[in-house]
Amino acid sequence: MGYLGKLSKPYKWAMYLLVGVPIIIMIMLAFTRTLGVDFTGAEFTLDNVTRLNEQVYRQAIRNSLVLSSIATIICFIIGYPVAYMITGLKDKYKWLVLVMVISPMWSNMLLRIIAWEQLFKPNSLLNAIGVSLDLLGTRTAIVIGMVSIYLPFMIFPIFTVLDKMDKSLIEASIDLGASQIQVFTKVIFPLSLSGVASGVMMTFLPSATAFALPERLGGGRILLIGNVIENLFKRVYNYNLGSLLSIVVIVIIFGAMRIINRQEGGLII
Amino acid sequence: MMIKLAKIMRFPLILVTFFLLYFPIIIIAILSVNESQSAHAFSGFSLKWYSEIITNTSLRTAIINTFTVAIISTAISTIVGTTVAIGIHAGSKKESTKILMLSNIPIINPDIVTGLSLMIVFSFVRLRFGFPTMLIAHIFFSVPFVILSVLPKLRSLDKDLYYGAVDLGCTPIQAVFKVIIPAIKAGIITGALIAFTMSIDDFVISYFTTGSGFSNFSIWLYARLGRRTFSPAAYAYNTLIIMVTFVTILTMNIKSYKKREE
Repeated sequence: MGYLGKLSKPYKWAMYLLVGVPIIIMIMLAFTRTLGVDFTGAEFTLDNVTRLNEQVYRQAIRNSLVLSSIATIICFIIGYPVAYMITGLKDKYKWLVLVMVISPMWSNMLLRIIAWEQLFKPNSLLNAIGVSLDLLGTRTAIVIGMVSIYLPFMIFPIFTVLDKMDKSLIEASIDLGASQIQVFTKVIFPLSLSGVASGVMMTFLPSATAFALPERLGGGRILLIGNVIENLFKRVYNYNLGSLLSIVVIVIIFGAMRIINRQEGGLII
Repeated sequence: MMIKLAKIMRFPLILVTFFLLYFPIIIIAILSVNESQSAHAFSGFSLKWYSEIITNTSLRTAIINTFTVAIISTAISTIVGTTVAIGIHAGSKKESTKILMLSNIPIINPDIVTGLSLMIVFSFVRLRFGFPTMLIAHIFFSVPFVILSVLPKLRSLDKDLYYGAVDLGCTPIQAVFKVIIPAIKAGIITGALIAFTMSIDDFVISYFTTGSGFSNFSIWLYARLGRRTFSPAAYAYNTLIIMVTFVTILTMNIKSYKKREE
């Protein structure tokens, strides 16, 4: 089939171009002062690196890490038992519940954020049942929004791993005298770690880099790294500092992947 | 003790999950039939926002754009993804790991990084931002999902089928079209469905790669948030999409259930 092997060559080069080249350009932009991506007359400078130390940016990076970690932990606490429970259902109900968990993703994400935004205002539909929330602009609002949007991304990979698990291992451990708790802590949970790892990645990364969600639910008071990057690229056109912050994000991603892969001993997905 | 606790907690956790997932959707549905433009209170039942989906020119254009981009990018990325997957499967192990690693990058990368990277490349080569750039971006993030759904089907396919076809006189191209593609059809369809869904829903990548006034639904919406030009017709459009999704899924479920019964 050697002849067919050539079919993937053009794709490989296109990917090098679209994945590798922008990273090189970003690194070049991060250490220069330019107008957009026009490098004529660009000079080497470390200004952007010094600006990274400013309060706004440090705070934004910290907010991103803290808020999305909290959201990821809550997603795990809710998502793991739910995924576990779904695997225990009869086939007929299993797919129904699974579909019910996934189908909200067909609803536009921005609109779901707006729905929460409307509810978090003191004047909302909830007044009709005598409730008035005033959460807009708080960290709680952002975390609730993140959990609501990224929870399926936690449930689905954990479910996949739990569902594929060899049930005879569980039977064997019961036969060998393990208690129900031991079966879970020594067999089921360790075997499901790869699902947990991809679930954590799939909730943590998008929530840490979201910008529409914190913009709407944070009421402009709480900035995440996504907001800062969006602002630099789309509103003030400072591609240099924007590129540097994007590189910080890429480094965080690879850091997170390395930590998870080391424990897992293989690339997930 | 712990087992008991787990059993008691099971029901509330399911409730919390469904509440978190469905509450916003229900609110959107309520607001879509709310007579008043403001979301503060329900002032009466009305279907006027549903008709505004068609009468509101800018919204209608945005929806048409969304579907145009989704249909074209799904068609192209399904063909490209399937071709690449066949190539990966036929190529050497070393080569295929390299390509798979590259193609996993857009899946792992958060949308904002993908969007920015593409924006930087496009502006570096001085492309005019608009429909073509958004289309390239959508193909870029869809192809990896097609590869990921086609590849497992190829791997479970008996390689001798291909050689058999060639021995019996097929050219390699004929063998691909008459033997391989029919055998991996399910994977191709799954890939196309994922690509289509991702494209319809995308906001962040489109936001960074569009220009000259070309908006899809999400960009149209984002530009109008908290402004007077915002129209609750957006709620109506979304509610329609959700209803179509549910009806499709339910009929598919009932069909497969009936098949199993037979």
